[in-house]
Amino acid sequence: MHKLRFVLLLLAMAVVAPLALLVGAGPASAADGSGEDRVVRVGTEGTYPPFTFEDPDTGDLTGYDVDVVKAVAQEAGWRLEFATSPFDAIFGSLDSGRIDVVANQITINPEREARYRFSEPYTYSRGVIVTAADDDSITTLADLKGKTTAQSETSNWSQVAKDAGAKVENVEQFSQAATLLAQGRVDAIVNDNIAVLDYLETSGSDEVKIAGYAGDDVGEQALTFRKDAPQLQREADQALETLRADGTLARLSEKYFGTDVSSEASTEIDLQGDRSATTWEVLRSTAGPMLWGAVKGTIPLTVISFVIGLALALVVALGRLSSSRLANVPARVFVSIIRGTPLLAQLFIVYFGLGQIGLKLDPYVAATVAFSLNVAGYAAEIIRGAILSVPRGQFEAATSIGMDRRLTMRRVVLPQAARIAVPPLGNTLLSLIKDTSLAAVVLVPELFRAAVSAASTSFEYLPLYLLAAFYYWVICFLVSLAQEPLERRLGRYVS
Amino acid sequence: MTRPLIEVRGLRKAFDGTEVLRDVSFTVDEGSVTAVLGPSGSGKSTLLRSLNVLEQPDAGVVRIADASIDFGSFDDLGKAEQKRELAALRARSGMVFQSHHLFPHMTVLQNLTEGPVRVQGRPAGEAEADAHRLLEQVGLADRGSAYPSQLSGGQQQRVGIARALALNPQVVLLDEPTSALDPELVGEVLGVVRDLATRGWTLVIVTHEVRFARDVADQVLFLDGGVIAEQGGPDVLRDPQHERTRQFLSRVLEAR
Repeated sequence: MHKLRFVLLLLAMAVVAPLALLVGAGPASAADGSGEDRVVRVGTEGTYPPFTFEDPDTGDLTGYDVDVVKAVAQEAGWRLEFATSPFDAIFGSLDSGRIDVVANQITINPEREARYRFSEPYTYSRGVIVTAADDDSITTLADLKGKTTAQSETSNWSQVAKDAGAKVENVEQFSQAATLLAQGRVDAIVNDNIAVLDYLETSGSDEVKIAGYAGDDVGEQALTFRKDAPQLQREADQALETLRADGTLARLSEKYFGTDVSSEASTEIDLQGDRSATTWEVLRSTAGPMLWGAVKGTIPLTVISFVIGLALALVVALGRLSSSRLANVPARVFVSIIRGTPLLAQLFIVYFGLGQIGLKLDPYVAATVAFSLNVAGYAAEIIRGAILSVPRGQFEAATSIGMDRRLTMRRVVLPQAARIAVPPLGNTLLSLIKDTSLAAVVLVPELFRAAVSAASTSFEYLPLYLLAAFYYWVICFLVSLAQEPLERRLGRYVS
Repeated sequence: MTRPLIEVRGLRKAFDGTEVLRDVSFTVDEGSVTAVLGPSGSGKSTLLRSLNVLEQPDAGVVRIADASIDFGSFDDLGKAEQKRELAALRARSGMVFQSHHLFPHMTVLQNLTEGPVRVQGRPAGEAEADAHRLLEQVGLADRGSAYPSQLSGGQQQRVGIARALALNPQVVLLDEPTSALDPELVGEVLGVVRDLATRGWTLVIVTHEVRFARDVADQVLFLDGGVIAEQGGPDVLRDPQHERTRQFLSRVLEAR
């Protein structure tokens, strides 16, 4: 018992330690407690790093926008109350007076200017073109004609690239685009310089660089107020002016982006990605995405594939046991194919192969299909063996009390077969957990993909893949812990 | 004269060309005990298993009460019809196996209620009450929540008997119920069988216990080479007419 507790403790520490590395805690600027103590309610998302997010160590709201509005409050003598809400609900909250100001990278545009009141901007962003570090052939939008770019599908930058005559590869996030770029699979990326800077800062990549501007438009982000609050806006403007003058804004910007994005002049500075992050920083910034990849990709992929796979396996096993050739032969062929071909080939056939003949499956779905079929092939033989190991007398006893085949299976045979099948099925599950890493190659955002992404920009292969391996080990270890009580429960009738 | 409860006519069964039952016919009266004896390989177990179609005879008729199957024409029937006839015939009998075949993953009580609840669709509470009564009858009132593996061989077989009774069949078929038991456990099981006989159950029992058969059986069938070599009251065992029977009996009795 003591030993078990010790192992659990060790395990808890192993899980928590990487979590603690996630993001450095920002020292909270003291915002409240000054003179007049006027309460100003701030609306912000809280899920949009590095602008507004919860510090994973402390749970406190932090980020560039949060720090800026805190600094403004200190200058203006506001006492802040933060209200986090989804982006879609933020303007509604402002309109209805539940909040007084929005600090959430709100870009000034004519439609919004007609409805709201903006402070002076505290962020200036421009579209930039990112290329491989050694590529000097692209510096303007005009150079993109005929080239291939990697873009987030829904971003307006995708349209900018298309308008410039570039081909567009769709990706889900900037780091993916950067990976493709670093590997020479695309020629350029068009994106917001802040997003690019954030990436360069967190990844420390020196394989890609900002090659030039994508047009001349400058985006300005500012605190947003209701039309009927000119006083707050004036106070904010005054405060921002002071903060700009004393260097506070520049300092906050440096802290989050490694450069100053708080002044219009900053967009003119040539921003090269020449910072290199330490191994520790790379691990720290990847531990979170990897954990998230496990939660969002690896674990659900495993669970869903295993459940579907087992159900299929039961059908196939009963087919194998059937005396009818119509059921027997297809089941036998299926098992033979699944066990006789590489899982990677199966995955590629489902994802790329079926895609070619018109069945374009989402990567997640394709991976689930491939893994389920694979599990079915292996588990079918395990289940078949387990059923065969139930003594003949059990079938006879069931028959003699009037059970038909279905009832015999369900009530008598399968419960006994389960006890025999659980240990080998446990092995199948452990294999599956690890095999889901193959989904990374069809771009399923799971644990291993996060490691691959980070490794391709940071070159920290050893520590990153060790960390990935460690995560897999933790998951497998937890599963094998759960197996023991299950086996005990299924075998409780055995003396 | 009332119609016999069981009627077997012209039963034949071959395994891979070897005839195990050759034209076997007999009847069993309601409330009687029929002991089936014979050397090993004589076909007595096959005969018993044919009565609830664990083995499907090649030809002949088996009738128990109002359910009967003519195996000569059985294969010509549709699948649904076959299923219906099998279910009807099997429902008339309860089977006790040589090595009990209790469901190891169920408790003793569940073993007894499984058939009544799942097959006969009786309410669980009612089936459990019956099960408790039966367990008491076989002397295991306090073992309902035990798993079979926690019981002795004799206790297991008594549960096997109770499970067969739980379906409330018209005849109980016992296939060498004591052959797999240690000698000191035989008595308790035979005691239960004897008790069933006095309670008026119709029993067909394949056994090597000649003395038991002599004491309890109303009818004795002596099987040899797939035919009934000798048939009659328990006196047959005292004074067999046929040489084969005599030899067999002396061998069995000497061994004891």
